[in-house]
Amino acid sequence: MERVAAGDTAAFTALYDRHHRSVARFAHRFVQDAGKAEELTQDIFVKLYRHAGRYRATARFKTFLFRVAANHCLNEVRKGEYRVTHVPEHGEEGRPVEMPAPEAHAPDRAVEGRELEATVAGALQRLSERERTAFALCRFEGMSYRDIAEVLSASEAAVKSLIHRATLSVARAVEAWQAGAGSPARSEA
Amino acid sequence: MSCTVEDELTAYVDGELSAVEAARVRTHLTSCAPCRATEAVLRRTVTELAALPAFEPSPGLRRRVLAQVESLPRPWTERFRRWLRPAVLAPAGVALATAVVVAVVVGQRLVVQRAERGMELAVAEHYELLSDYEVVGVSRDDLDVVEHLDELQKEGRP
Repeated sequence: MERVAAGDTAAFTALYDRHHRSVARFAHRFVQDAGKAEELTQDIFVKLYRHAGRYRATARFKTFLFRVAANHCLNEVRKGEYRVTHVPEHGEEGRPVEMPAPEAHAPDRAVEGRELEATVAGALQRLSERERTAFALCRFEGMSYRDIAEVLSASEAAVKSLIHRATLSVARAVEAWQAGAGSPARSEA
Repeated sequence: MSCTVEDELTAYVDGELSAVEAARVRTHLTSCAPCRATEAVLRRTVTELAALPAFEPSPGLRRRVLAQVESLPRPWTERFRRWLRPAVLAPAGVALATAVVVAVVVGQRLVVQRAERGMELAVAEHYELLSDYEVVGVSRDDLDVVEHLDELQKEGRP
């Protein structure tokens, strides 16, 4: 990051190659749209380059990166620049999100996977922005509660609560889908 | 669900509780069927989420990001470093060294000229006195004569 702060574009390229998938994945979970996720990812990396001088080696880089990413996504969504895309529930028309092509030899599993993806995406859409952020960082980026607390400038207890509510809500939605109960219910937790 | 440990179940599944807290939840689960059911649902969901396909950004994104970064104004440290490249630094060094040599040579000449002019002025100022002793344009012997003029006069020499 020190080299990036000094304008070393080769160092920045290496940084991008190493972390862009995580950031894009996070942004995608946030807005549920491939094009918007890429726009957000581009903005986040340009912001990272422009403000690289603010990074202090005392902070873990991944925490710093996701703090920039989470703040940017939250701000853009709050400003109304991006709306979280409506994700059709299974049974509705249209393909909700663009994902890698399913394996040809397992069509049933592929359909099931898409439906599960749609169910999870729908459940995420109903979460608060902070719940969604904490959930995405925990479930899809494998970050610890302590690191997520740092990203969100929150206490570990608050993060524990956010992740519990979000996971329980998604779990109930998945449970309802698996039981064939139609529209998933919101968690009362 | 009204169990006090219910809020801890996700952290328990994630392995985020301390050993003491985890032991308390574990003990509770042995006697609470609703919490056991919730824990099972949470565990199953966490496993299924981990198996979901990940979003893959397009290769064009890399090109767009790098192009935008390249178009940004460079930081001052980078601009300064560009001035320190050998291609820029070597000619600049040669030019500077040449300038220093020229300055030294010209300076020395000026100093010598000024000193000579000072000497000439001093001679001009005391021309009458010096000409009395015939030292203007004369040799070292003549200067000795001037220096020991009193002694020579006592001895009766001119």
